[in-house]
Amino acid sequence: MNLLIPLMIIVPIICALFLNLLHKKDRTIKVIAILLALTLPLLPLLASYGVHFFGGYEPLTQNPTLSAGLPSLITGTALNTFHPAITYSFQEAQKLFLFILGLVAFLAILVSLFETRRPSGVYGFMMFMGVAAVSALILTDDIFNFYVFFEIAALATVGVVLVSQVKGNYETALKYMILGSIASPLLLLGIALLLGVTGNVNITDIIASLKSGVVDPQNPVILMACGLIVFGWLYGSGLPPFHTIKSAIYSKALPHGAALLQAFSVFTFIALGIIILRIFSYLPLSQMVIIGVSLLAMILGITMAILQTDLKRMIGFLAVGELGYIGLGLGLGTALGITAGLFQAVNEIVITAFLFIGFGTIYYQTGESDIRKLGGLMVQNSKVALLVLLAGFAMAGVPPLNAFQSKLLLIQASIQAGLPELGVIMILLSIVTFMTFMKAFHAVYMKPRPLDLEIKNDKIPRVTILALFIFLIVCLVLGLFPQVATDFLQGISTSLAGGIP
Amino acid sequence: MNLYDLIVKRIKDAQEADSEGPVTNVSTSAMLTAEITLISSVLVALIMLRLVNNVLMIVAVLVVLFAAVLAMPTMPRLKREMNDSINGMIFYVVLALVIVIALFYWGSLNV
Repeated sequence: MNLLIPLMIIVPIICALFLNLLHKKDRTIKVIAILLALTLPLLPLLASYGVHFFGGYEPLTQNPTLSAGLPSLITGTALNTFHPAITYSFQEAQKLFLFILGLVAFLAILVSLFETRRPSGVYGFMMFMGVAAVSALILTDDIFNFYVFFEIAALATVGVVLVSQVKGNYETALKYMILGSIASPLLLLGIALLLGVTGNVNITDIIASLKSGVVDPQNPVILMACGLIVFGWLYGSGLPPFHTIKSAIYSKALPHGAALLQAFSVFTFIALGIIILRIFSYLPLSQMVIIGVSLLAMILGITMAILQTDLKRMIGFLAVGELGYIGLGLGLGTALGITAGLFQAVNEIVITAFLFIGFGTIYYQTGESDIRKLGGLMVQNSKVALLVLLAGFAMAGVPPLNAFQSKLLLIQASIQAGLPELGVIMILLSIVTFMTFMKAFHAVYMKPRPLDLEIKNDKIPRVTILALFIFLIVCLVLGLFPQVATDFLQGISTSLAGGIP
Repeated sequence: MNLYDLIVKRIKDAQEADSEGPVTNVSTSAMLTAEITLISSVLVALIMLRLVNNVLMIVAVLVVLFAAVLAMPTMPRLKREMNDSINGMIFYVVLALVIVIALFYWGSLNV
């Protein structure tokens, strides 16, 4: 048992509850939020690898004391290996993912506290609750527990949008909930079907049932469950047909909120994507569907991004498009492809947060995100403009920044897997991503300033600039030393690929 | 009028019909880029059909290329389809659900 594992979920939940209770006490909210947000990236660094069992105990095979004296009806059958508790597993990949989630959450919360005149306890509650839910998604090995936190993450997402006070936020949040009311029950139905057929909600046990032949892997109910879980995956991560609402959600949140929301989406994407690969990788169709949906997300996301005139919506669509790169890595099904996909996920979370908070300074200064009404802001703050430019370079995959390494790995993996066409599409769409970013950058910083553009906040908080610097350092470190991240991902990639290099 | 001018004129016509603001050089070139990206990405993706059958791949590429040239510009229509209307979103969500379930259920049983 490792007590720091449950703390990774308990700490943000406690913080969320405290902030809600202290709603109107501004200074207290600030201090508590900063202190507890700082623990978010630290806890995964301090925790040692292991598993934690909630509400039960380890499998009987791992504990001879418990199994002693039990009848052979239990110890001599598959029951001996089943996990009776909700199991949380903390390994190398989880360490990296939780550290990155904690870092993005800490910086987003920090920026929100200094960019908002009166820090809102409710807003903090939603952000911390979302972090707790997504941490659980990354750690859990129990598919029903996954669903519970999946729903909490969706509600926290809606909450972050609801308290943003951006025009049209209520309508967009309502639409997201309506679509969620279609997709989430279907995901739950898929989980219920799996439970019905295998008698289990523990993912390791479900896989064991399928592999040992206790359950027929071609059972139509299992196939239906796979389809429904894939559909829930599309909703949770914002893949087509949910890409429109997901990008709208980002655009109706405050920039620091959007930075965190996109991290929630990417982690939901990889957490559920890994579950799909673990349980259903024996179906060749599952990988084909992942590749097909990812391609669609890339093409639709990036082509729609270039047409947008709203800065936040543009980055929202780009974020959806970048999800496709991760999906392609997972869909290739090779160890190199999965490593590249997961590395791209880590990079995308950092870069998109970098862009949202970077361009968020424009929203903070002007209260405007329509690029047609912006211009000439290079004069206002040339340092931030440079940082935003570097964030755009990172997203497009310009060396020596981090996405260059992950996109290069993805292209190598696609060639190695015999699908060089995917590499060609990735390069093509990276060029268009760069063009989209330059269109926004030119409109905001380099175009002559419109006469009616009003500067509401002249000075950008130092904390925001510090957050941008930290993101830049992470981009540089991962770009120059990619093995810092890929070493953490080798283990999970090799096990998911089932021996395919 | 050469082919480029013809395409730009059609894009401007389509944008004006569905305009949220003035049609500018930036918006037109963005639309043109999106159009070219869409067509080229789909065509390159279709080449992967070679893994199923070479003839199928050639036919699919030619048919899509021909259809794309005839239907050009497709991006203004695509943009109109991908609006924030809840009815449109629900339609595509239900369509996606049908496709995913059909693929997994019948695709896995009969392939």
